[in-house]
Amino acid sequence: MAEISTIKSVRVDALVAMRIVKHATGAYPTTVYGSLLGMEVDGVLQITNAFPFPTSTEDDSSSSALTPKNKGVMWYENEMIKCLREVNVDANNVGWYQSTTLGNFINSNFVENQAHYQSKMSERTIALVYDSTKGAQGGITLKAYRLTSQFMVAYKENKFSSENLQKHNLTYKDILQELPLTLYNSHLATSLLHQLSIPPQPPSILPVSLTSLTNPPTYPTPTYPLTSNFNALDLTIDPVLEKSCDLLLESIEAHNTEANNAAYYQRSLAREQAKISAWQQKRKTENSVRAAQKLPPLPEDEWSKLFKLPQEPSRLDAMLISRQVEQYARQVDGLTATSSAKLFALNGGIPRF
Amino acid sequence: MDRESFIHLTKPAVTSSTTANPLQVVICAQALFAILDHSLRRSPDQERVIGTLLGVRSEDGSEIEIRNCFAVGHNESQEQVEVDMDYHKQMYNLHLKANPKEILVGWYATSPELNTFSALIQNFYASNGDGTYPYPAVHLTVSSNPGKDITCRTYISSSVGITPDRAADSCLFVPVPYEIKYAENERNALEALSLGRTSLDRQVSNIVDIHGLEVGIVELLEMLNRVSSYVSQILAGETLPSVAIGQTLMNSLSLAPKIDAPELEKLFNTHLQDVLLVSYLANTIRTQIDLSNKLATITGTLPSQPQKTENKRQRERE
Repeated sequence: MAEISTIKSVRVDALVAMRIVKHATGAYPTTVYGSLLGMEVDGVLQITNAFPFPTSTEDDSSSSALTPKNKGVMWYENEMIKCLREVNVDANNVGWYQSTTLGNFINSNFVENQAHYQSKMSERTIALVYDSTKGAQGGITLKAYRLTSQFMVAYKENKFSSENLQKHNLTYKDILQELPLTLYNSHLATSLLHQLSIPPQPPSILPVSLTSLTNPPTYPTPTYPLTSNFNALDLTIDPVLEKSCDLLLESIEAHNTEANNAAYYQRSLAREQAKISAWQQKRKTENSVRAAQKLPPLPEDEWSKLFKLPQEPSRLDAMLISRQVEQYARQVDGLTATSSAKLFALNGGIPRF
Repeated sequence: MDRESFIHLTKPAVTSSTTANPLQVVICAQALFAILDHSLRRSPDQERVIGTLLGVRSEDGSEIEIRNCFAVGHNESQEQVEVDMDYHKQMYNLHLKANPKEILVGWYATSPELNTFSALIQNFYASNGDGTYPYPAVHLTVSSNPGKDITCRTYISSSVGITPDRAADSCLFVPVPYEIKYAENERNALEALSLGRTSLDRQVSNIVDIHGLEVGIVELLEMLNRVSSYVSQILAGETLPSVAIGQTLMNSLSLAPKIDAPELEKLFNTHLQDVLLVSYLANTIRTQIDLSNKLATITGTLPSQPQKTENKRQRERE
């Protein structure tokens, strides 16, 4: 098996981060998709530009999601890259991005898209996933993923039977590989950020009444400096936590359905096999009787014509669901970790009268 | 941001054109980042680069929000200027496909200078047909000189010149006020980005929630210190007291809930235990899934263990 890719980490430009956030926020709660441009330097994938995919195309008005595999989207992507090349943008397609709510992005669609990129474009493409729900709580939740090479091999063969999985040593944990991600500011962007963070000048005159304090006069022009907000100090994560738990339960439900399917297959397989062995037994005794009567023996492999073994259901869905459950569980874990830290801190600080 | 003060008056309604009415310009931070990126990518011999601004205009045209932009190639020499108009049109159409709401509102240049060529380009963007007519086109200049502050200026234009010939290649740039705006999510993203503004390699890695928490707490402590030093200054008679500020402080203090300590502690502990239980269950589920998959690959069956955990969780939630 070839070594996993040459990309070791991902560096995202401030511009790209802002573009994705803006696109995702503008279309919330719809999932949005877009293309990433950049280049790879010494194992670091530098993503320097991004553009959104169109919301509708003329030649394809079907309601199917406009994902990177769509023909119209591919045309759009190529046109856009051709245009951007003229203004000195790093015009290499290095992947795509999508928005998500609470990490519910692991499904066959995601895998199909990324597999499409990794097989058609190049091995060195990634998917950026931006979580807009968590983004509202503070910080930026941007993750870079790619499919592992083991998974790609299995995906190309399109065989996800238990045998095959065992052969490739593939478990649900090996579907996606998360790459370390850093955010990068250009010198000019750094300069801009510094300027945006200059706190407002305190007014020279003290406010005269309550209303003048709460509704400051419009002159001097109100500025919105980048002073930090206190979302991170919020104690109530309950709505988010509850939603995450709901999603977790849903995916467990789906997992159970898959489990039942697999169990059903297992049972019917066992039943068929029992029938076959009974038939083989019968044929054997028949043959021994015929041998005693000096007659030619009947063929013993006729069973494959008489009985049909059930097809093993693809294990891909089950794997993806498992991965999704894990994603949710991790998320819940992360949420509760910060929350309990805050609670412990606060509990220690409450004055006891 | 550095800004100049200027006065902006409505002209008496003598001309039929609406192009010189005062208006408010709102710039999204994202557009600024894109302009700066374009400025970095210009060829070394180019003094400035230009591009098209896209955005939304309020119904009466008095407020313009610049949401997006794209670069347009152009060539400038002593005598003439060439702007790739076909490229502009093609890009504009592509952008419209992705974002039908964002329409043409003006153009930007990455130099604070206004010259004859600026007037020519401005007249193109404000023209009838391809331009923004009858609304004014906004011209945004973003200076990107090394070592200096990044200064933005926004202008609209008003036509000058006596003959139509003169009017076509000249215009008067009227400065208009602007503000930089960002939505809540964008603000959070900016905050995360600005964590890297003091580091030498200008990078932010390991974006974790705890970091935001730390920054928040530090800031909160600073504010508390400021307030308490202000109050003690007043008590010592060093500064003039303000009734309004006193009232606000009073109001905020009275917001503290009045619950007796044991009750509060009990509530706290229950909540804390709930949170910890959820975390414990989440980890259990992870183990179960892992186990279930391990068994599945060995025997080819998926045992349905997670059922148990699920029931537990549902009980807990109820």
